[in-house]
Amino acid sequence: MDYSRAALADHLAAEYVSGSLRGPARRRFEALLPAHPRLRAAVREWQSRLMPLTVSIEPRKPPAAVWKRIEARIGGATPPPARTSWWSQLALWRGVSAFASIAAIGLAVLLSSPGPAQPPVVVVLSATGAAGGAVVPASFVASISGDGRALVTRPLVNVSLQADRALELWALPGSGAPRSLGLISASGATVVKKGKVLEGATGLAVSLEPAGGSPTGAPTGPVLYVGKLQI
Amino acid sequence: MPPSSDWSERSRDLSQLLARAGSGDRAAFAALYERSSAHLFAVVLRICRDRAQAEDILQEVYVNVWRAASGFDAAQSQPLTWLTSIARNRAIDSLRRARTQPQIRANTFSDDEDSDVYDATADDNPGPLELLSRAADARALSHCMQDLSAPQRQSVALAFYDGLSHAEVAEKMGEPLGTVKSWVRRALMSLKACLERASERDSAIGKDA
Repeated sequence: MDYSRAALADHLAAEYVSGSLRGPARRRFEALLPAHPRLRAAVREWQSRLMPLTVSIEPRKPPAAVWKRIEARIGGATPPPARTSWWSQLALWRGVSAFASIAAIGLAVLLSSPGPAQPPVVVVLSATGAAGGAVVPASFVASISGDGRALVTRPLVNVSLQADRALELWALPGSGAPRSLGLISASGATVVKKGKVLEGATGLAVSLEPAGGSPTGAPTGPVLYVGKLQI
Repeated sequence: MPPSSDWSERSRDLSQLLARAGSGDRAAFAALYERSSAHLFAVVLRICRDRAQAEDILQEVYVNVWRAASGFDAAQSQPLTWLTSIARNRAIDSLRRARTQPQIRANTFSDDEDSDVYDATADDNPGPLELLSRAADARALSHCMQDLSAPQRQSVALAFYDGLSHAEVAEKMGEPLGTVKSWVRRALMSLKACLERASERDSAIGKDA
């Protein structure tokens, strides 16, 4: 099925937002969302149309215990810092679909103990769940040389891609736009040597791009994997 | 209940709180909860009915909102729309696990367009049709309702407000599944034009902010 077709996207989004899309079809639709901007846009439009219809539901004050429990849960956590816009869309989607907590996406960082020899750093890039019809969910591992000048990426499980798609690796600076580190292999190791490109980077991300890589110099497809860098 | 055409206005109040919560401001998050939780709880309760489960869902929703608040993009969505969507999704997701025994009564469909047999619920809560009609009034959408046949209104209201699946709506209305599916579909598409005009009106109002 061609999910980019406007009428189909609109119809599916209507059923999803109204709640009548259920069971495996609902889960399948949610899995498609990250990879299909048109579907996401259709969902947002239907949400703005239908959610205001809930105004007629009489408010019901939840018992105080609920807030206590929420407070206890968020006690130690600090929400992640604000992101750039493409990043926000991802976070928005996560919130909307409400099944992936940022903590889960957020990434196990395996950090070797720092020493004078600057040992390599290994970063696990976890799947964001944006693995829709295009790829299978998996994780990437990036090993970064101690001097930050080179890194090697490798998928934990081979990722199957459509022929006209490629994976592109990005360095995420603390602020500002992501910088491309080039295309990486979906099935084996890729050595990336980019001088000091990792300087100032706080994370790595892998996005799904057209074959040949992002035409714009910024991520255009969904971000499939992210990992936090703590050098 | 206050007149409810103030969705955008309420959303504007919330967007500042949401932005501050996104940067780690717990007091702002508490205020956000204070102002939005009764609405979200009511939305969740309608769908999942079980109070204890609804409380658990509400808790999950707000923990998620706290974590995702920094990713909220006010340019893309109104805060109350965003929050309500999250709550509804959670509630609907919970149904596939919990609703092993949906409260379904087979009803014979009445020819009388104005009869509202589906509103005869056990509690005092208004039925889904009543909610749809009130929402239409509040949002100045009553003319949209006239475009819909009575069964279309009923099927879409049961699905939207009470979170019933197509099959559950079909059983409740005593109609074939295929018929109900096309009612819901046509009702949604027919509402779209009207609702779009309303949301354009809302965003036009929002522009002076």
